[in-house]
Amino acid sequence: MYNILQLVLKYGAHLLFLVLEILCFYLIINYNRTQKEIYLNSSNVYSAKLSSQTNRLNQYLRLHDINDSLMYENASLIENIIQIEYSNLNVPEADSLYERYNLIPSTVCNSTIHLRNNHITLCKGRREGVLPGMGVISSSNGIVGIVRNVSENFAHVMTLLNSQTVISCAVKSRFGHGALVWKVEDPLRMTLESVPKHSKIAIGDTVITSGYSTMFPKGIVVGKIEKFSIPLGSNNYNITVKLINDLTAIDYAYVVQNRFAVEQLSLENEVPNE
Amino acid sequence: MNNIIIKNILRSLLIVMVQIMIFKQISFSLSDLAYAHFLIYPMAILILPIKTPRGILLMAGFTIGLIIDVFYDSLGVHAAALVFTSYIRNLILAFLEPYEGYNTDDIPTFKKMGSGWMISYLSIALFIHCFLYFSIESFSYVYFFEIFLNTIATFFVSILVMLISLLIFRPKY
Repeated sequence: MYNILQLVLKYGAHLLFLVLEILCFYLIINYNRTQKEIYLNSSNVYSAKLSSQTNRLNQYLRLHDINDSLMYENASLIENIIQIEYSNLNVPEADSLYERYNLIPSTVCNSTIHLRNNHITLCKGRREGVLPGMGVISSSNGIVGIVRNVSENFAHVMTLLNSQTVISCAVKSRFGHGALVWKVEDPLRMTLESVPKHSKIAIGDTVITSGYSTMFPKGIVVGKIEKFSIPLGSNNYNITVKLINDLTAIDYAYVVQNRFAVEQLSLENEVPNE
Repeated sequence: MNNIIIKNILRSLLIVMVQIMIFKQISFSLSDLAYAHFLIYPMAILILPIKTPRGILLMAGFTIGLIIDVFYDSLGVHAAALVFTSYIRNLILAFLEPYEGYNTDDIPTFKKMGSGWMISYLSIALFIHCFLYFSIESFSYVYFFEIFLNTIATFFVSILVMLISLLIFRPKY
């Protein structure tokens, strides 16, 4: 009590000043129309500003969930695109289990880009249905690689930028197909080999997956032809493909689950390679 | 001592009455840009003795401002400005303190403090008061340009009236 009294005695004038000013502003706001309107108006403006800022912060905190839901939505959209590609074939489906391809969305945990054999690690594994041999496609466009090894919660993916990657690709609406391999040390360019030279191609043609493997469905865009040549004495083109996606900056990817992969592979393996 | 207090109170009341009865009627506009009021009532606070306690200054400022407000029909605006002016009066005095410091019985007059000191003291205080008054009146810094013009116009006419009246009446306490 004594301390409070001392405080009042020491800072009495300042306290009195504050009290009087507050009293004055109370009077101003309550008994003058213009000032009252401005006060109410601006307090509304400030409270609206505050609530919009709070909203933005909340949205930022929810970004992770939003991203996840967008990832699933993207997966179903890409599934639809694949379905449309197959429905154009006019081949009647054998049964009602029409959806041959299923996408598993995943985030990328780890990636290398500077090595001779590059890999990425996905944050989903056997528990979510990822198995070795499945293809991985990119969230925007283009393909990423092939699953090589899985654990319970992670999948090790051999990317396109790997000397051992060979992916069956074709040039869109042209004849023939070839093998996509990575030769140069440029992470944006790959080489398409063994496209027969009687197929007419042009610079700028789109390179798509051929659908001849169990890993990738037909028609996923891989890149564009940047330049091509026919080596002396060869029957095939040597095509440089500029990739449509940048594998050095990749955050999300989709694992392609092929429902008939096991069946197809077991059938093909019945006859031994001669 | 009591005599001085009573005389100061009466003088303050006189200033307030002059403000209400005469200077409230006069105000002129400068080509639509700004209008000049005569705000001479801050003088009632400013010419109180230098060693007046801060609490008394604040109460006096509040009372005078409120009386002015009742007649100007703007409850609280003049009072808020005048309370602030009373509050910073000591700061201005400290800023203008002569080398020897103030005596206990000093009062701000031309005779005691000199005309240079007096003019700068009144000018600083009155300019701050005018600026505060117009700020609180418009209550929003959207009108900053208008506030500034009004402050300058009002400041010049008011300081003129103040100096002339102080030179004519020459208060002794």
